[in-house]
Amino acid sequence: MTIAEEISIYKVPKTMAFTQFSEAIIEGERTVYHLKYPSLTSDDIQQMMNVVEANRESYLASLTTQEIVEKIDQAIQKWLDPDYPLRRRAEQLLPVITGYDKDMVRLELKKYMRTFRKKELLRFLDEEFDQPAMLDEFRPRKSGGMSRAFGPNTLFHVFSGNVPGVQIWSLIMGLLLKSATLGKTSLSEPLLPVLFAQSLEEVDEKLAETLAILPWKGGTAELENAAIANADAVIVYGSNKTVETMRQRVPLDKPFLTYGHKISFAVIGKEALTPDLYYETIYKLAEDISIYDQQSCLAPQSVFVEQGGAISPKQFAQILASELGRYHKKRPRARLTDEEAMAIQKLRDRYQFEALQGDQVEVYASQTNTAWTVVYHEEAGFEGSPLNRSIHIFSSENLERDVLSIKPYQSLLQSCGLAVAPDRLFTLADRLGHYGVNRICSVGEMNSAKPGWHHDGGFNLLDLVRIVDIERDVEQKMEAFDPDVE
Amino acid sequence: MNLKDKIVVVTGASRGIGAAIAKTFATEGAFVVVNYLKNTALAEKVVSDIEAMGGQAVAMQADVQDIQQVDHMMTEITDALGGIDVVVNNALSHYTFNPKTRKTAWEIEWQDFEQQWEGNVHGAFNICKAAMPYMKAQMAGRIINVVSNLIDFPVVPYHDYSTSKMALLGLTRNLAKELGAFGITVNAIAPGLTYPTDSSSETQENVRKSIIDLTPMHRLATPDDIAGSAVFLASDWASFITGQCLNVDGGLVMK
Repeated sequence: MTIAEEISIYKVPKTMAFTQFSEAIIEGERTVYHLKYPSLTSDDIQQMMNVVEANRESYLASLTTQEIVEKIDQAIQKWLDPDYPLRRRAEQLLPVITGYDKDMVRLELKKYMRTFRKKELLRFLDEEFDQPAMLDEFRPRKSGGMSRAFGPNTLFHVFSGNVPGVQIWSLIMGLLLKSATLGKTSLSEPLLPVLFAQSLEEVDEKLAETLAILPWKGGTAELENAAIANADAVIVYGSNKTVETMRQRVPLDKPFLTYGHKISFAVIGKEALTPDLYYETIYKLAEDISIYDQQSCLAPQSVFVEQGGAISPKQFAQILASELGRYHKKRPRARLTDEEAMAIQKLRDRYQFEALQGDQVEVYASQTNTAWTVVYHEEAGFEGSPLNRSIHIFSSENLERDVLSIKPYQSLLQSCGLAVAPDRLFTLADRLGHYGVNRICSVGEMNSAKPGWHHDGGFNLLDLVRIVDIERDVEQKMEAFDPDVE
Repeated sequence: MNLKDKIVVVTGASRGIGAAIAKTFATEGAFVVVNYLKNTALAEKVVSDIEAMGGQAVAMQADVQDIQQVDHMMTEITDALGGIDVVVNNALSHYTFNPKTRKTAWEIEWQDFEQQWEGNVHGAFNICKAAMPYMKAQMAGRIINVVSNLIDFPVVPYHDYSTSKMALLGLTRNLAKELGAFGITVNAIAPGLTYPTDSSSETQENVRKSIIDLTPMHRLATPDDIAGSAVFLASDWASFITGQCLNVDGGLVMK
């Protein structure tokens, strides 16, 4: 027997009332979930932004950064308790909504939440501001004078739904800058930011009143234009198409941060392929490929494997394929849309045909489905993959030389998982950086960017604030206007 | 496999390894009795899954620790189905495999051992004793007891659990010696950590990883892996195997 359950996937200030609702229907094992959200007009958007902005003005704007950090930390602490009802709710519902394996969601979610503890938030603020207190008041500068940073009064976030959790990072960013938030979620993962907002509400009701989070169909110009017009800054996550569409609509004078499609990859030196290390190296890489089914821009799509280790690059591909098979057994990949499955099938067809022509290419793939695919290339090269646990392995005689193949992809590159001897780190890092990579990380850690990282090579908070300077002679000259001056 | 229409009783079959064993036997054409203690809904689900695959099964509630309930179940089975060919003693007393909260050698009490002894050995004893007359009458039968590879390699020392499983292996060997004359084989299966099951859900990720690191096949067992070995031991292919313990743990224990 199936049970129907209604779930609100929006969070708006209490004074907002809606009469029209839409719903998305998701079928779980024994429950059919009706995800309910308001049907909006551009007037609703405008009204909502006015409300969150007014709530910000009357409350959030007057909190100190330290106080905000404390409040976020209290909400995060709740999420670090395995029995916290909203965490349990997320662990139960996210796998149903996203199709990701439930164990994977459980593990990744708690790991992710840990990166927002107070100490990490402080680290994050310190990373970008010499003095985070400059978000609260004018602070002396080392070169003389005083400065204060002003965040946007209102922030409009366009979230993507590929990886649960990223939206939380964006919400926290807005809070640290004392901005009121309108977050447009994607129906492919609309829940987690709403649950997090509910946690903030449990900690501080007035703080949560500065947030409005809800989905609508991406590309609805009427709603998005209203949101842009009423926001001081815009942050967009999503495909290049989404980012480009939004870019054309946002006026030049508004800060506009984008996190579009990126390609990450791994570079494995022969030093990581000795008899004692090769298995561990492959195991970790298989995790990088499998977590969230490679949907994160941090996950590798291509791998350079150096010759000269205890296993050849081809053997590397074979063991990796077998490890991906084991991973799938442990944490099955999500069910794909026809389009996604076709993309993998196309990749397989293309290279299986090439494999028949000679021995330059091999395809190692799951037999009865598209669960995992490894394409081995005898010649060094570089290619994006159709994701969902499909990967290219390129044999390399010399990594320092062969990484040049990434250069044509410069504008798309992001993380490189690197496993080489220490004396090669900086030569390779220089080259990788030069060719467009902006994050070098360990194999096995590719999906876990560290707090304070430069997301896509830029600043996060700094790019959104406006710094106001009081020049040093101003304060000195003003002394003369003190009626009590000598 | 020649298991067509054989009557197979699987204890603790509403979930985890037991459910997988029940389904695999059904796939091979056997008529499966899905024994359970509490989870009527889950046991019925196993039965309906089997029926959906075109198999035959029935759910029967009985506490294996209670000889009267076991006798009653066995009588019902033989009255309705005409015999018992295979029993799989898979039920266990509730146990949570959590390395962080387990009782150390200096904390554990005799009572803990008794509880495991009751669940693991007494339950299997009751089932064997009740099945024996029917198997003897048929001059054939297969008894399969689920133990654990922890008895050979206590990766985590779950004192009470592993000790009782070792005792169950002792029971297995003694029964094998005595029942061989009737054409009945008695064997054990020793699964490694099996995932996912309700019992193993609290075994932390790092412990699972360290077991995987030691395992030649580089993964944990799945309920289906265990089920395959049970079907093998019940099949004609295993006709001359008795008193053995088959480790199904990806090669973690080799002997």
